[in-house]
Amino acid sequence: MGGSTLNWQVDDRDGARIVTPDGRVDESTATAFTERLIAETGAARGKVVLDLSGIAYMSSRGLRALTLAQREGTRAGSTLLLAKPNETMREILAISRYDMIFKVTDTIEDALTG
Amino acid sequence: MQVRFWGTRGSLPVAAKAATVRDKIAAALVAAGGRKFADEAEARTYLETELDFAAAHTYGGATSCVEVDVGKGAFIICDMGSGLREFGLDSLRRCATEAHPREWHFFLSHLHWDHIMGFPFFVPAFVPGSKIVIHAGHVDAETALRRQQEEISFPVPFDWLKGDIEFRTLQTGQDYRIGAVSVSLIEQHHSHLSYGFRFQDAAGTVAIFSTDSEHKIDQMAGEANVVEFFAGADLVVCDTMYSLADSVSMKEDWGHSSNIVAIDLCHEAAAKRLALFHHEPTYSDADIQRMHRESIRYEELTRDAAPLEVLCAYDGLTVEI
Repeated sequence: MGGSTLNWQVDDRDGARIVTPDGRVDESTATAFTERLIAETGAARGKVVLDLSGIAYMSSRGLRALTLAQREGTRAGSTLLLAKPNETMREILAISRYDMIFKVTDTIEDALTG
Repeated sequence: MQVRFWGTRGSLPVAAKAATVRDKIAAALVAAGGRKFADEAEARTYLETELDFAAAHTYGGATSCVEVDVGKGAFIICDMGSGLREFGLDSLRRCATEAHPREWHFFLSHLHWDHIMGFPFFVPAFVPGSKIVIHAGHVDAETALRRQQEEISFPVPFDWLKGDIEFRTLQTGQDYRIGAVSVSLIEQHHSHLSYGFRFQDAAGTVAIFSTDSEHKIDQMAGEANVVEFFAGADLVVCDTMYSLADSVSMKEDWGHSSNIVAIDLCHEAAAKRLALFHHEPTYSDADIQRMHRESIRYEELTRDAAPLEVLCAYDGLTVEI
């Protein structure tokens, strides 16, 4: 699993911040993923939509990073939403029951308007 | 090495109710579709091969008690949950029929009730000539065991036990030997601390017993120590009581872990097998089976190297490693 990197794209739309990482969230990238996501939710106000379309899969470290970012967002006044997971990510969110503690949408628009 | 599960439930012993057994039988009869069986052996074959585990069995409800059997020398037992009562009787049978030495070495993960409640019912402790050594990372293990047999809690005081009972406090970072078995321990995050144990036999086979261990969300860097402790294990028995979501939300700081984190730790450690353990007492057999199937699927989805075999421990399971 070593040697992976994540590329990030950030867009502000309709008062929300859309954050799009691309790559794998595993043991080698989890720390960077966590720090970046916490920084985004800590800096934003309102909705932060994590576009998961570029994430192949996520281990528990990535999932727990979502929780840490959500907590930082709660302190800062932002809400983290998850959008566009692929089939693998959708299964992982269901198995971990993270789909019960995060709002998960099929599209960015659903996250922005929901 | 054989690892034998005498108690696999977490927190509180549970038992199947009459209606649960009735419903399993009814479902099995319906699934048989009017088929006739020549004898009970044929009926058992049908149950074993054509029905899933939860339909034809139960995961059991005794609390934490796991035997590590290397085929000779003293008995080695992890924890003294309610499963210990049945183990105690079986071990005496083996002493009588297999000339097994009357020596029992316990390794306690911690001192909470569900992990020590079986000791007052451990018959060998009442028998003169029994040698019982209780190993723990906690210095107050003796206090805990004596206290649960004080008059307010139990009719038989600890001092009435006729066996030769010794307490040994173990330190992390050291290797201990029990006959041909080498044992080391690691401190874990749990109320009043808990300890995981690594057992290695003369052939190099390794079994890990790691229960009641919360892997804190804000201390993920510290998991490298756990991975090192699990490294290359043939079997890891791991606390998988909650879903990951529960373990980081409502049940955070309750001292337990999830199937997801256990699989990730075992993947990193290149362990060969994981036994899901310390089952939530509110879970039905169907709930535990669902958790087991989901765990197997998560392992498949996140596997990057050799497969990790994911077992689900149940009372009465023996794993040959």
